[in-house]
Amino acid sequence: MQNYISQQNFNALLDSLISQGKRVVAPRTNAGTVLYEPLANAADMVIDQLPRRSGKEAFFPLCEDIMTYQKEGQKIELQDIDPTRFLETVLVGVRPCDAAAIPVLDAVFSWDYKDEFFLERRKKTTIIGLACTQADDACFCTAVGLTPADPKGADLFLTPLEGGGYACETQSEKGEALVANNKELFAEPNGYKPLPLAEPQTGKFDLKKVKAWLDEHFEDPAWDSIATRCVGCGACAFVCPACHCFDIVDEGTEKQGKRRKNWDACGFWKFTHHASGHNPRDQQPKRYRNRIMHKFKYYDDKFGQTLCTGCGRCIRLCPVGIDIADILQDIDKIEVKVKVEENS
Amino acid sequence: MCENTNKNIYLPYLATVEEVIDETPDVRTLRLVFQDEQVRENFSFRAGQFAEYSAFGAGESTFCIASSPTRKGYIECCFRSVGRVTEELRRLEPGDTMGVRGPYGNSYPIEELFGKNLVFVAGGIALPPLRTLIWNCLDLRDKFGEITIVYGARTQADLVYKRELQEWEQRGDVRLVKTVDPGGNGPDWDGQVGFVPTILAETAPSADNTIALVCGPPVMIKFTLPVLEKLCFGDDQVYTTLENRMKCGLGKCGRCNVGNVYVCKDGPVFTAAQVKAMPMEF
Repeated sequence: MQNYISQQNFNALLDSLISQGKRVVAPRTNAGTVLYEPLANAADMVIDQLPRRSGKEAFFPLCEDIMTYQKEGQKIELQDIDPTRFLETVLVGVRPCDAAAIPVLDAVFSWDYKDEFFLERRKKTTIIGLACTQADDACFCTAVGLTPADPKGADLFLTPLEGGGYACETQSEKGEALVANNKELFAEPNGYKPLPLAEPQTGKFDLKKVKAWLDEHFEDPAWDSIATRCVGCGACAFVCPACHCFDIVDEGTEKQGKRRKNWDACGFWKFTHHASGHNPRDQQPKRYRNRIMHKFKYYDDKFGQTLCTGCGRCIRLCPVGIDIADILQDIDKIEVKVKVEENS
Repeated sequence: MCENTNKNIYLPYLATVEEVIDETPDVRTLRLVFQDEQVRENFSFRAGQFAEYSAFGAGESTFCIASSPTRKGYIECCFRSVGRVTEELRRLEPGDTMGVRGPYGNSYPIEELFGKNLVFVAGGIALPPLRTLIWNCLDLRDKFGEITIVYGARTQADLVYKRELQEWEQRGDVRLVKTVDPGGNGPDWDGQVGFVPTILAETAPSADNTIALVCGPPVMIKFTLPVLEKLCFGDDQVYTTLENRMKCGLGKCGRCNVGNVYVCKDGPVFTAAQVKAMPMEF
């Protein structure tokens, strides 16, 4: 089923959801930076820009309380966090690169043990995806199997149209409910023409070839030259829509406080540092190798997908100019070279 | 196995410190009793599994469950005070409350050890992860053949479970070979002097119908595996445990992996064959 909604009606839809007490999270400007944040009104939305950080925080916040404790003499009382208090949420304006990362995170937080913090928020969130019409030099979604019009992960998928407004495709029951409950704002499609889609860099590397090389080359001199520049700042992990590593820390006094789950990054030296002082990833290249391996091999081995959606944020933000797409392209080339040598 | 019944997978059970035992100047055992009656009755684990122990206000640390599953009503952990959490755990006194999440991870395949001779090889503070299995086996003594324990530490003072070493020495059905590193022996030392791999080579247990269980610092493992190989132990006759920094213990937080293997989910118990297939990143 396809429907049309004008920009004005789309804003009216979001304002109506806000007035119903729903949390509407969309790109908005905060201190000069576009971030996914709760809107007070739809007019604040900056839908034509890719936010600095990804939409994953709607389910997996940067910091979140997972319990509180209170001490009284030798006794301790723990207070659980009630996940039913999480608000019904509509996450708006999610580009295919961000939306496709959400099912990737689902796999992590729901295999074996279930992380109710993530899953409860996920259950209560409707995702409005948006076809992408603007790419820059860092975008490489098409190289990791996506397209700027891929609706994967979205409940309702919008395609911007010439002259304004969107074509809407429902992708799930949540999306259908959203349209059905707000029928009056949608119209029949009538000869509208989609805006031209973004054209990211394509075919820079072949994921299968990269994976095949990674499978065989944990130890390889190439790692010494890959990302030697990395300073271990962790920015790439913090802006990544698919990175999901976290820390668990207590914050408070001896008497009372809370336990929190905070984002973490495999680029930090302390990430794998043992109490004994031993560190299995004691040098930055080893930590960066883990980043590449996790994204393009380990996650694939376990869940059959790649832990990267080509959003390019890590490339845009890296303070020392590391370009993961270039690295993958180099790996792709190494593989070709090896094969040629073997065949000659 | 008793899965945590809390819906919140990060919420620990509360446990009371029942007993504090100093093993060495900086290694301590805590005996813990769960405060909730149902948890006390239903908590069960297998030798080799680990838990996350909370000192509230400081955080959580990962250690094995050092007591045997055959000893009911309590669990024990054993740790060296080296960081913020372990310093706080060290301050706990009998009657104090702490947190426990678990049991997590896989375990020693004890049923597959029935009818076999066992050789335990441990170094320093790595005895606790084997001690759970040693007592498990000793409590089911008839099910196993000969039991040999080779245990060493840097110095006499660094040997943990000293009373139990004595007990094992006095038993007729266990062969205990204890050793300290050269220079670590005092005038009253009645054991061997030498590094664990060397002493293991001298002890020369037969590999015939035997399983070796090895736990120690990476350097000890590195030199022990070739000794076992020389003694004709196959890689599937040797078990070890890997320890990595962990936070969740649940296969989510992403830091304990060695290659694509998660120590918290796929381990901590591995055969030498499995360890050899892993990249050298532990």
